[in-house]
Amino acid sequence: MERACGPSAAWRRVHLFSRERALLRIVFLLLPLPAFAISLLIGTYTLPPEDAIGVIASHVFNLNFDHPSVYDTIIFNIRLPRILLAMMVGMALSVSGAAFQGIFRNPLVSPFILGVSSGAAFGAALSIGVFPQIPVQIGAFVFSLVAVGLACAMSRVKGRTPPVSLVLSGVIVSAVFGSLLAIIQFAVDEKSLQSIVYWNMGSLSTACWSKFDHSFPMVAAGCLVILMLRWKLNVLALGEEEAQSVGMNSEFYKSIFILASTLAASAAVAVAGIIGLVGLIVPHMVRMIFGPDHRTLIPLSMTFGAAFLVLVDDLARAALGFEVPVGVITTLLGAPFFVYLLRATKGGGWE
Amino acid sequence: MKKIVYATTSMVFLMALCLALTFMPAAAQDENATGTITVTDDRGKSMEIPYPCERIVFLVENAMNTMYAVEGADNIVGIGDIWMEEEKAPFFRAIDPAFDQKVRISKEGGMVNMEALALADPQLVVLWSSDWDDEVTVAIEENLGVPTFGVFIDDLNDTLAQAEVFGRIIGKEERAQEVQDDMSQYISKVTDVTSQIPDEERPKVYWMWNDVLGTAGTESTANDLIYLAGGINLMQVWDDEAASMEHPTLNLETLVELNPDVIYIWYNQNLDPEDVLTGSDFAGWKDINAVKNGQVYEITDPFVFDFHSPRLPLALMLLAKNLQPEKFADLNLDEEVDNLFVDLYSVHYPGYAPA
Repeated sequence: MERACGPSAAWRRVHLFSRERALLRIVFLLLPLPAFAISLLIGTYTLPPEDAIGVIASHVFNLNFDHPSVYDTIIFNIRLPRILLAMMVGMALSVSGAAFQGIFRNPLVSPFILGVSSGAAFGAALSIGVFPQIPVQIGAFVFSLVAVGLACAMSRVKGRTPPVSLVLSGVIVSAVFGSLLAIIQFAVDEKSLQSIVYWNMGSLSTACWSKFDHSFPMVAAGCLVILMLRWKLNVLALGEEEAQSVGMNSEFYKSIFILASTLAASAAVAVAGIIGLVGLIVPHMVRMIFGPDHRTLIPLSMTFGAAFLVLVDDLARAALGFEVPVGVITTLLGAPFFVYLLRATKGGGWE
Repeated sequence: MKKIVYATTSMVFLMALCLALTFMPAAAQDENATGTITVTDDRGKSMEIPYPCERIVFLVENAMNTMYAVEGADNIVGIGDIWMEEEKAPFFRAIDPAFDQKVRISKEGGMVNMEALALADPQLVVLWSSDWDDEVTVAIEENLGVPTFGVFIDDLNDTLAQAEVFGRIIGKEERAQEVQDDMSQYISKVTDVTSQIPDEERPKVYWMWNDVLGTAGTESTANDLIYLAGGINLMQVWDDEAASMEHPTLNLETLVELNPDVIYIWYNQNLDPEDVLTGSDFAGWKDINAVKNGQVYEITDPFVFDFHSPRLPLALMLLAKNLQPEKFADLNLDEEVDNLFVDLYSVHYPGYAPA
């Protein structure tokens, strides 16, 4: 009798599960805030946390806190630009990855699938080894856009861009730029070769306000477009015919998403080098936990990606006195966690 | 009886000594007489090569400068890649009229062009190497059957020793001794003064390689150069195992905490001292003593001040004038550069007119 009147066990389970998930969603959404705060207090310079908090409070609330000027430099000119850059890069790569995976309906896709990374690596190498008068960031950014533009142009058939053709064109363009990079690496002197290899590892060690200022508008624009149109990804993820059957101009929206994702990822790669796995595993992790709905997936990929990379970069810059390329740590830390989630969710939310 | 035994033993000992003294130089003469000599390279590898060695290929440019200093221009038959060749070629042409006729051996992807090397038909190949088994060494020795002399300079004395061994290889021992004496004389102009400076009075120097946060570890030639010039390498005061790496990469916060008094930039096409002092990308550096006091310098000419070549004393003088300006106020660097070029290469600098 009681069972008939009260909520069923299945209903309670679902209700509890959705409550937990909602709570977890809020945690993931707010994750960048504690990550930001913790990162501001971490570093190799001996700055006690209470002094760091005092310095920040004195600036934010205009309080009188007596401290050496070097503390301001450490917090506002060294840690803050690097933290913001790390969060921005993490956000850009993750959201681009999530968007690309949705457009191509393929779990193996990352922001680099259309040649962003290989184009950027070639552009950076060209700047380092052949035309040192061109800033590395400019070279990397321009050639990452060129690579994606070529992939899109090559795959376009009769006014349409089939996803499979696009992915294959991306693979070809990546291979071509990979070969061009190899030619430069073969031809340059050992000093330049060393710089090219180091750039390819991905690092945030040279973070500064100008790098953040130059790249942020492009990353913000790309992320904002994806965020605002994220529900369209749900329709695109159903497939071309399904999208057209509900009246969506799939070609138009696909182009918008590719453009926005490429802009964000290129700007990020240009300032940080090639940071592996972030754009692949962060969207997967979020999807495994919250499901494939892009209305949730996109904002949570942004926040989780930002928090993930800034915390990993904390390790890169503060675990040892010397720098470890952050791209190396993202791979070493991300890969086992990803494998665990993959096994725990039996297929990573794609089945 | 005892006296007889004693006398006999003494006689035998004396005869043995005489024989040994007679035999030793004979062995050396025999070696030369048979046309070979045994030398040991910087890797500790001994090799027997023709004496005097008349056909040598240099795949390492710094060491080639030493061969030119010991008057071995005619013994060089092949040359590898030269970094910034456009700037350096006028010098090489001035001291070696046959410079443009030497066989050029390019190096791509870490491997030398073996056919070009074979064309030079060398009796010895000099290359930068720290490992007996590196792939270039193995390829040259196995494919061409030519011994390789590995140059690996991790101590400034290695450059002095290089003059001696190169002179011996080409049979110009006297000239090699002159070069060593000249270099030592120039070096002592600095070290006679700086050796008196206690460590606590030496400025802490951050050596900036091209990767900006990459520096010279305690086991490096730049470390020795800084000390001889009157400073102390910042890595000497960093309590971290990474300090002994040849090329540690610092974290900016660590650099600010170590707070160098002087920053020395090794030749950088994309960066000037002014960028470090006032550039917006270097806002995080502004509390470092070197920046606050305007003590940021650069080796703007990596050819003249190449400290892996016999021009090492010039690099030393340049650093000394910046690190200890009061003590070296009277040192006329332009004059010293010209004098050293005349002494080592018989040309004036700049212009390379014959001396």
